[in-house]
Amino acid sequence: MNHFCKEASQLQSDKFERDLTLMEKIRLRIHLTICSACKNYADNLKLLNGFFHGRRKAAGIDENITLSEQDRERIREALKKDSTNS
Amino acid sequence: MTKEASNPELWLKDHGDYLYRYAMSKLHDEELASDMVQETLLAAWKGWDNFAGNSAVKTWLVGILKHKIIDHIRKEIRNRKLTEAVETDPTSALFNADGSWVDAPRSWKENPEDLCGSDQFQKVLQACIDKLPEKQQVVFTMREVVGEDSDAICKEAEITSTHLHVLIHRARLALRACLEFNWFGGERQS
Repeated sequence: MNHFCKEASQLQSDKFERDLTLMEKIRLRIHLTICSACKNYADNLKLLNGFFHGRRKAAGIDENITLSEQDRERIREALKKDSTNS
Repeated sequence: MTKEASNPELWLKDHGDYLYRYAMSKLHDEELASDMVQETLLAAWKGWDNFAGNSAVKTWLVGILKHKIIDHIRKEIRNRKLTEAVETDPTSALFNADGSWVDAPRSWKENPEDLCGSDQFQKVLQACIDKLPEKQQVVFTMREVVGEDSDAICKEAEITSTHLHVLIHRARLALRACLEFNWFGGERQS
């Protein structure tokens, strides 16, 4: 018997990249109801996706993330040095 | 443009933190993020004559920073992967000939919020990403770590969207297996 798992794993990744066709959606949905390994794979990918999304968002809006004084000073020095060179 | 507008120290004062946060949201590394801000301001200052003035200075600076970040990722990965020429396909190792899983994925009991707060998880994750072959690593990093959309990555990496989907699929398979082995699986799952 041939298993759909390998193909399903590609579709599960593609779901995050493109709209699946109706046929792909149906085949995947039916498979997930009968295959716990692939259902776990789906949940694993969802968890990772949620993690990456959350991490990007958190760092982009966190007002506590600022340049340290040392970093500012270092950058100021670099800008000054550059302006005297050119 | 006035002389004042082209003052990089003023850019640092007004937009430094914003640029730094932007870089942090893509790179998650403090030292690297501040380096990127510095490089951006230096490049911006050199290229000031090219600034058309039809966008805000902040937008212009972010545009430069974005390029710096992508350049950095590509260079960084390339430097570490000089010897590795082959693009491995993990599907042959993870699936049996009949298309079934060799090791069935298990259920993971953690949630994204807790994982975001765990430095240890982030270290394990990065180690798993670092193990991916070069192309998979570049596109996966741009896609999930930096958060670029598919079109931009295809253009940047000069590949078709079909090829991109295959690379990202392979990266996800390998990464998931690596994380199950090194983080979610075994003794941690009590």
